[in-house]
Amino acid sequence: MRHGRRTGRALAVCLTALALLTACTSHGDGDGADGASTPGVAGSAEPGTLRVLASSELSDLRPVLDRVREETGLTVRLTPIGTLDAVDLLAKGGTDGTYDAVWLSSNDSLRLRPEAAGRIVSETPVMASPVAIGVKDATVRRLGWRPGSVTWSQVEQAVADGKLTYGMTDPARSNSGFATLVSVASALSGAQSALTDADVAKATPRLREFFTGQQLTSGSSGWLAAAYERRGNVDALLNYESVLMGIPGLTVIRPTDGVLTADYPLSTLASTDGSTRGDVRRLAEALRTPEIQREITRTTHRRPVLTSVPPAAGLDTSRRRELPSPGSRSVADGLLDAYENELRRPSRTVYVLDTSGSMAGERLTRLKTALTTLTGDFRDREEVTLMPFGSDVKRVATHVVDPADPESGLEGIRRDTARLTAEGDTAVYTSLEKAYDHLGGGRDAFTSIVLMTDGENTTGTDAAGFDRFYEALSGERQEIPVFPILFGDSDRAELTHIAELTGGRLFDAQRGSLDGAFEEIRGYQ
Amino acid sequence: MRRIAGIVLAVLLIGGVVAAVVAGRDNEETGAATKTVRMVIGSEKAQFFADPEVVKALAAKGYTVRAETSGSWAMEELDLKGYDLAFPSSQAPADELADKYGVRKPLPRPFYSPLVVVAHRSTAAVLAANGLVTLDRSRGGTLRMDAYLDAARADRTWQQLKGAEKHTELTGTLYVATTDPETSNSGALYLAAASYVANGDRVVSSDADLDRTAPLLRKLVQVQGAQKSSSDAAFRDFTSGVGEPLVLAYESQVAALLAEGGDAVSDLVVLYPDTTATSDHTVVPLTDTGRELGELLSADPRLRQLAVRHGFRPQGASAEFTRATEAHTAYLNQRLTGVRQAPVPTSEVLRQMAVRARG
Repeated sequence: MRHGRRTGRALAVCLTALALLTACTSHGDGDGADGASTPGVAGSAEPGTLRVLASSELSDLRPVLDRVREETGLTVRLTPIGTLDAVDLLAKGGTDGTYDAVWLSSNDSLRLRPEAAGRIVSETPVMASPVAIGVKDATVRRLGWRPGSVTWSQVEQAVADGKLTYGMTDPARSNSGFATLVSVASALSGAQSALTDADVAKATPRLREFFTGQQLTSGSSGWLAAAYERRGNVDALLNYESVLMGIPGLTVIRPTDGVLTADYPLSTLASTDGSTRGDVRRLAEALRTPEIQREITRTTHRRPVLTSVPPAAGLDTSRRRELPSPGSRSVADGLLDAYENELRRPSRTVYVLDTSGSMAGERLTRLKTALTTLTGDFRDREEVTLMPFGSDVKRVATHVVDPADPESGLEGIRRDTARLTAEGDTAVYTSLEKAYDHLGGGRDAFTSIVLMTDGENTTGTDAAGFDRFYEALSGERQEIPVFPILFGDSDRAELTHIAELTGGRLFDAQRGSLDGAFEEIRGYQ
Repeated sequence: MRRIAGIVLAVLLIGGVVAAVVAGRDNEETGAATKTVRMVIGSEKAQFFADPEVVKALAAKGYTVRAETSGSWAMEELDLKGYDLAFPSSQAPADELADKYGVRKPLPRPFYSPLVVVAHRSTAAVLAANGLVTLDRSRGGTLRMDAYLDAARADRTWQQLKGAEKHTELTGTLYVATTDPETSNSGALYLAAASYVANGDRVVSSDADLDRTAPLLRKLVQVQGAQKSSSDAAFRDFTSGVGEPLVLAYESQVAALLAEGGDAVSDLVVLYPDTTATSDHTVVPLTDTGRELGELLSADPRLRQLAVRHGFRPQGASAEFTRATEAHTAYLNQRLTGVRQAPVPTSEVLRQMAVRARG
C-alpha cells in the first residue's frame, strides 16, 4: 500500500483524540441528528445502566430505548463514535471498564482486526438497513429512471454526463460512507465475489469518474442531510436507506447490482462481568420482541429481523444481491487509501488561527502540537492555507500536498506552524473575510474554512459587518462553510452564529482536545 | 391466531430472565434448594435457555440458569473461572476445553443438529434446474456437494446458471455464506464436510490431506469476504431479507422458526447437503453442578421435549423429533434420508484447516 505510512499516522492521531473523544463530538452545535442521549464521557458503572459505545445514527432509537427501559428497567446510555475509531478503541482495550457493550452499524470492519474482534464475546443483530441512493424526485423524472431497476453503472453514467451530483459521508470515519464506497467499488469493478486489491486497481478510472459527482462530504449523516437541504443544488445522497427515508423529497433506490447492509449487532464485551453480559442479553431480547421490532421499523425505517414483523410501509421488499464486505484489512485499507489520495475530489482549506496575545504560552504550544500532528493526516492533492491572525491577518501561507513529493508540502506546514507567535488583539471577523477572499471560487475541490480562536472578537469588523459581508458573497462562495472550534475563552454564541450562518458546524475543544477537534473536522473537508 | 400465539410467546420471552429469578424465589419459599448454574453457550441455544418453559422445567429440578453466548471456538479465549459449564455446539471445541480444564470424559451430549442450507424458493429452483440440488420435498431438498464443490472450483457465477437471469439478486459467484470457521462452529463444520468430499470421501487427517484440500477450502471462504462470527447472526440476516441467497444454518434454527409459525417463512426452502457434519451440542462440566445439569438435559423427558420444540434432536431416540416436526415434513428431512455424516477431523486439524482457509 502506497500510503501506509500516512494511514498509520492518521490512526495515531485518532487515538490521541479518543481520550477525549466524546467531548469533541456534537453537542450544543444545533446538529441534533447526531447527538447522543447523554453526551460526554461514558460515565461510571451503575447497576441497571448500560454504557454503550454506538454508531452515531443510533440516536434515532431514543424513543424505542425509553420504551425498553419501561419494560426491562434497563437504561441505555449511548456514546456516539465512528466505526473506525471504535475499532481502534477496542483494539487498544480502551473499552475495558469504560463500556458495557458496543453497538455499531456493522461489525465487518471489526472482524478485520483480530485484536479488536477478540474483545467481543457475542453479537445479536437487531435490525437491518442497506446502502441506497436517495435521488430528488424531480431528478429521477429528468433522468427517466425506474426506481426498481437502477444500477450503479447508471448512476456512474449520469455523473459522467454531468446530470447527477451527490453527497456522501467520509468512508474513513463513518460506516455508511465505507459501506457506500465498498458497494460502488464492487459494482463498478465487476467483482464477482469479495473485493481484492486487483479489483480496486481495475476500477480506479471508473471510480474516479464516479467521485467527480460528489459535491458534499461529511463526518456524520446528520450534518450531511442538513448541508444537502441548505445547498439545494445537490441531486442525491448516498447513505443507509433508513437515513434517506427520513429526508423529504427523495426517491430511495437500492441499485440492483448489489448493496451492503448494516445489521446493527448489539455486542457484549469480554471485559465485562457475567451480570453485565446478562443485562446486555436482556436488552437484545427486548429489542427483538415483535412490539419493539414494529416500533423500530415504524420510527426509524430500518428493517426488522423478525420474520413475523413486516418492514415499515415504503420499504421495498424486492431482493437485492448482498455484496461481500472486504475479508482482509489490506483490501479495506487499500480501498480507503485510494479513495482519500486518488479518487475523491481534493480538499482546499484555510485554517484561520488565533495567535493573539492571549494565546501565549501553553495555548500556543497546544495549537502547534495539534497542527503538527494533523500533518500526518493530510491527503495527496490537498491544499492547506495557514492564516494566523491577531489584530489582523499576520500572513498567508499556502501548501499543496503533491502526490509526487508529499513530504515537502507537509514539511512546509510544520515549518510555518513552528514559526507561529502570540501577539496582538483578536480580529475574528476581519480575518474570516480575508479567508473568503483568499478562497475565491471556481476550483474543483471540497472548500472550507476552519476557525480556531481562544477569545471574543475585539477589533476590526464586528458580527453585523460580517453578516453583511457574507450576504453579499456570490452563491458559490456562500457554499463555503466555516467550522469554528471552541477553545480557551472563546464565545460559544459567537461561534455558533458563524457556523449557522455559513452552514458549518461547531466543534468543542473546551471539553475535548484541540487535536481531537482538528481530527474530527477532517471528516468534513 | 398464529400471530397472537407468536406475540404471547415473545412477551414470555422478554420475561425470560425475570422469570428465572422469580422461579428461583418460589423454590426458596417452598424450601427446595436452588442452585444457580452459570454457563457459556453457543448462540444457537440462547433461545432454548431463555424459554420460560425451560426455565420452569429447570427450576422444578432446583436449577436457575445464567447463560451467556460465545462462538464455540472462541470459548477457549474466555476466562471460565466461576462458570459451571461450557456448552459449545460440537465435540471438537468441547474436547479442547475439557483437556484445558482437566474435565473427566465422556462428556454429556444431550442433543445434536445437522447442518442445512437455507434459500428462497426461486433460488432453490435455479439450483435444481442446473443439477446442483434435488428437490425431494415441496419446501426442501438435497444439495449435491460434489456438484457444488465443482462449481466452486470453477468459480461458477449465478449468471452462468440457466434461469438465474430472472432474479436480479442472483449475480456474482455462487457460494454458501457461512460463519467464520476460526471462531464459530457452523463455519468449521462446513469445512469439515466439504473437506471430506474434496479429500475423496476420507476424513482429512494428515498434512498431505490438508495441502490437497486447502486451495478449494480457501476459495469457499475467501469469496465471502468478512464473515459473521455467530450462526445466529447469519441466520437472522437471512430471515430479515438481507440478500445472501444461500446461508448455512443449523437444522435446529430452521425447525425452531417453523415451530414459531408466521407467514414470512413461506418462501423458505431447506436444503440438506448430501454430505454433512453434525453439530453435537456437548456439555463441558467445570463443576459438579455443571455435570449434574448436563446429565439432566440428556435424561429429563420434559427438557428433551423442550429441546425438540427448539428444533434439536435429542441423542438416542428419533421418535421425539419425528413426532414434534410432523407438521413441517415439507421442509425437514426427518430421517435424514440420503444424507451421510462426514466424520469431523480432530480439533487440531480442523483449526489448521480454518486458519489456512481464512488466511
